[in-house]
Amino acid sequence: MNKVILSGIFAIGAAFAALPWLGVPAFWESFLYLLFHWIILAVSWNILSGYTGYFSFGHGAFFGAGIYGSAYLAGTIGWPFLATLPAAILVAAALGVGLGAVVFRVARVRGELFALLTLAITFVLATIILNTKIDGGPGIYLIGVDIPKLGPSQSASIYMMGLVAAVVTLAISYIIYASKFGTGLFAIHDDEDVAEVMGVPTYRYKLYALAISCGLAGLAGGIHAVFISYVTVSETFSIAVPLSVVLMSILGGSRHWIGPAVGAVFITCLLYFFTSGDYAVFGRAMVGLILVIVILFMPSGVLGMIAQWWRGRTRPAAAVSPPVHEAAPTAAIVRLAAKPAPSTDVLLQVRGLTKAFAGLRAVDNVTLEVRKGEILGLIGPNGSGKSTFINLVSGHFKPTAGEIIFEGQNLAGLDAHRFAQAGIARTYQIPRPFSQMTVLENVAMVAMFGGAGMSRTEALQAAEEFIAFAGLSQRAHALPDDLNLHQRKFLELARALAARPRLLMLDEVLSGLTPSEINEAIEMIQRIRDRGTTIIFVEHVMRAVMALTDRIVVLNYGAMIAQGNATDVMNEDSVKAAYLGKAHA
Amino acid sequence: MKSLKRIATLAAIAAGCLGLAALPAQAQSGPIRIGSTLALTGPLSATALVHKLVGEIYVEDLNSRGGLLGRKVEWTVKDDQSKPEVARTLYEQLVTSDKVDLLMGPYATGAILSAMGVAQRYNKILIHHTMGIPSLAKYDMHFPAWSLGPDPGTTVPNTLFDALAALPKPPKTVAIVTSKFPSLHFLSLGAREVAKKRGLQEVLFLEWEFGNRDFGPIAARVKDAKPDLVFVGDIGLEGNMLLEAMKKIDYEPPLHFHLYPAPGPMATAPETKNALSVTIFEEHAPYTNNPVAAKFVATYNARAKAAGFPYTKVEVQAAASFTAWQLLEAAVVATKSLDDRKLADWLKANQVPTIQGTLRFDKGNNFGDDLMRIKQVQNGNWVTVWPKAWAAPGATIKTQ
Repeated sequence: MNKVILSGIFAIGAAFAALPWLGVPAFWESFLYLLFHWIILAVSWNILSGYTGYFSFGHGAFFGAGIYGSAYLAGTIGWPFLATLPAAILVAAALGVGLGAVVFRVARVRGELFALLTLAITFVLATIILNTKIDGGPGIYLIGVDIPKLGPSQSASIYMMGLVAAVVTLAISYIIYASKFGTGLFAIHDDEDVAEVMGVPTYRYKLYALAISCGLAGLAGGIHAVFISYVTVSETFSIAVPLSVVLMSILGGSRHWIGPAVGAVFITCLLYFFTSGDYAVFGRAMVGLILVIVILFMPSGVLGMIAQWWRGRTRPAAAVSPPVHEAAPTAAIVRLAAKPAPSTDVLLQVRGLTKAFAGLRAVDNVTLEVRKGEILGLIGPNGSGKSTFINLVSGHFKPTAGEIIFEGQNLAGLDAHRFAQAGIARTYQIPRPFSQMTVLENVAMVAMFGGAGMSRTEALQAAEEFIAFAGLSQRAHALPDDLNLHQRKFLELARALAARPRLLMLDEVLSGLTPSEINEAIEMIQRIRDRGTTIIFVEHVMRAVMALTDRIVVLNYGAMIAQGNATDVMNEDSVKAAYLGKAHA
Repeated sequence: MKSLKRIATLAAIAAGCLGLAALPAQAQSGPIRIGSTLALTGPLSATALVHKLVGEIYVEDLNSRGGLLGRKVEWTVKDDQSKPEVARTLYEQLVTSDKVDLLMGPYATGAILSAMGVAQRYNKILIHHTMGIPSLAKYDMHFPAWSLGPDPGTTVPNTLFDALAALPKPPKTVAIVTSKFPSLHFLSLGAREVAKKRGLQEVLFLEWEFGNRDFGPIAARVKDAKPDLVFVGDIGLEGNMLLEAMKKIDYEPPLHFHLYPAPGPMATAPETKNALSVTIFEEHAPYTNNPVAAKFVATYNARAKAAGFPYTKVEVQAAASFTAWQLLEAAVVATKSLDDRKLADWLKANQVPTIQGTLRFDKGNNFGDDLMRIKQVQNGNWVTVWPKAWAAPGATIKTQ
């Protein structure tokens, strides 16, 4: 975290705090308050929706919960206004957490379904408030509410509340952005399933992000209640609030901590610029047109475009340096070090592991052991259950039956991030890097959340080492889309290694590579094992299997049909039959 | 670099916005500057445009008569975008940055309350057109041009029930159905109380949320209740939608009253025959016996037609708007001053003749008499039918 940025936020806030005493027209307090108001709403929306990609159209509901929280407590019950603000935060956050606790458990409620669900919450909440004593129809009038004296006038006091809330919101947004938590949220944005497997506690993180986002929206609502002084359901729960914050965030750049604030300032100024009565309709049309043009030409937002431009300037040539190793590889498969003797200690024990999909048993009662330090080959024809096995042992799938005992702890049924934190890492057959993170960030992210559990600073340093190990140093700041398949495969390896796993599962890392690239990869896998990592190696390239593995296990139709020394197992009739079919002569 | 240029352009627009807003205050001499906002865009714009046209007509006429205090009048109107928070900020700008001499109110209750808060902080007089909830207006220098009276929840239903009681066959049962829109809801709740006190049997009470579009179930419930009178707390096109839904189930209420219907659609649709409502002004005698009103009606009709308004006649909104300007002119002329306190004191102490009748502001929250009258759709036009003193020549309430 850059303390200069954080100090800058507070310093700018302090400078703005002097405004009411400078004698400028009071209108500026009111106008700047509106800027602060939209900054809080847009930035708080972004903490959930921009960072995690869970697009919410329900921000109006949480904002409305805050408005009515404060309005009811101050206007109807007579609480001191300042005391209502924590209540507004809590009510909105509780609403968000209640919603999130349910919907985040359902994996299919993502994307547009989540957006629609949150929109529905807005209408449900509006209906409840309108039809209960909270409002009941006539609205809540707040002119008589005493506003705490925080400035030379009432407007100045509201301005100060808005300013403090905006500064706090921006600071929170930056702290999250620059923290391990923020990295986890961005990983969820790019690929939630992979993030979970890499060790991000996705459910908990989403819930935290939603609570913070809603709480800040509630705070904005609480302050806004006294600004508008007359609160009605139809105006509070208008669709204009979520639409505006979405637009602001996209315009400014939802991937950046300050992007939504830039969008909020831009749009609020633009709308205010066109308030002249003579050209009101024309002005609004112009605002719409300008926004359409800006979004068309800057789909990643103002700050996204700046970041893209900056990356383009600093991007080196797309060369790949050879992997870091002690001796250059030859074309043939050559071991760099003597094959260490595997231990007899059991690292992973799988007992009766079964996974059924609607009656199809993709993994059927598999029992096997993986010993410390060995490379266990896992082979079988297509559809034999190898990838399902990996998905089970990495926690991506929950087993239908059986136990997964890793270092004495049964992990079966736990969330995937618990597997990663226990020391299990995996690669994907088709690389699934986090698409909007650079190579360095991809690797650092795993160092933070995997078995290593490093801090963000440590992880970034360690990531450089693993990137060098994988020969990707010159591509450290490239996005995965800019890498070729070979580089993406090596990124998968670097990422898995960064977790400092005790068990690494490699799922067809060699597929699609050229022979020389395969040699390079094999040599790298040897060196990974030589560092003490136990490996489960799923592969179709048999020369690599024969060269690398200490033992192999063969699956067919989900069941284990053989295990043992590679040469012996490959000669077994059942294995030949599985690969070649039975002779029916 | 093209992208950078775009950013620079956008930054310039933003800076321009701030810069324009910071223009120095104009000198106190020269024209009298009156500032206001209206919902020129957004969901309230259809009605706000009526207020804009009336303001333009009035100021042009005023200047043609020499302006105020011998000075030309200049009206600055800004677009509050139908948002109370923008209305508040713009009124702050009008007072503290533009430094206008006088304020005129915005349209719609939320914006009026926002403007009232600003006026109160800077001790400015605020005359406004159509604020629907008198109990919310606590500021002692606000003056409503819409003569609702301080307690319309009681007086308006009483006026209606008085009118109906004069019928050969007065209603004995009533169904009250209402939107939960704030300025309608309290009137409908008031109607329940008044009906009860007057011995009308309430056979149905239903509410719907503002924005509802499905009136079929409500129509069916009303039909089943068989009321003599349907009191509808509606605004805009809600009443039309309810009557259409009733028509679909072959039901025509014997008597139906609507609070704030859209005047054009309610007057012209076939199923709205004999609809009753409230008014302060219609385009017929005795209102148009006033030459000021007659001139205004002629001008408004022509200008509204030229502007492409869907309804070009003067009714409640236009009349209230015109009245607001009449009040401001009367106070300035009488006091020969632009001093807000003097103007307010004069309005409190005097009665002002306007096109809707004589207004005064000596009752609760600066409201005066309830001048609301009952009008009815007859032959595709609105005509006042009650009280008799304001009824169109020969007009009486028609029933089925």
